[in-house]
Amino acid sequence: MAVKMRLKRMGAKKKPFYRIVVADSRSPRDGRFIEEIGTYDPNLEPSAIKFNEEATKKWLSTGAQPTDRVVKLLKAAGLQ
Amino acid sequence: MCIIGSDFGCHDRVVIADKDCKEKTLDTLANILYDNAGDVMDSIVRQSLLYDFYGELLTEHQRAVYEAAIFDDMSLGEIAQEQGISRQGVHDLIKRCSRILSAYEDKLHLVSKFQKTKQMVGEIRRLTEEFKKSRDESLIEQIGQISSDILEL
Repeated sequence: MAVKMRLKRMGAKKKPFYRIVVADSRSPRDGRFIEEIGTYDPNLEPSAIKFNEEATKKWLSTGAQPTDRVVKLLKAAGLQ
Repeated sequence: MCIIGSDFGCHDRVVIADKDCKEKTLDTLANILYDNAGDVMDSIVRQSLLYDFYGELLTEHQRAVYEAAIFDDMSLGEIAQEQGISRQGVHDLIKRCSRILSAYEDKLHLVSKFQKTKQMVGEIRRLTEEFKKSRDESLIEQIGQISSDILEL
């Protein structure tokens, strides 16, 4: 079972806000996810990236595949 | 190319929460983010905003695919499988949707007007707070000026 790390858009219309979640790649569209490991908020100036360091490392080491966008955020946070 | 101007991207703030959710800010990493992630993150935020404003003008099928890509960060392969079309088809569809949404923005400018209004209202709020403290009458005139500017947009 492939597990992925991906962004999930939350927030109201015209006010995008993203959660970074770990989810099973086969059931991605029903909103279910395994764990929330961080957030990305582009509304703030400067925009804010948060990661739960412990959970992120745990999932990376167990082989969760981050999407390209999440990889960028991970690199920015120095976690990869 | 960038529709929403300089509101996004530069000097992002990175916060790592440790186990107790105490936050430490990593200022030194801000520039790394700008170099590595600026474009990619800018583009998803921009596409999101365009979709918020003009998404309803797309067809049902276009919306399903575009939302999967922009809201749920799914890969071309995953969307292709879900929709029963080819990867190439998904790629073309997303490209086309982005172009359609950008074309609406070029004609209607709703996103850029929204961004400017938001920024100016923020400025008015700031001046109001300042006025509460200083009672400086000249601030009122500035607020009036900004209000007229907003109506001119």
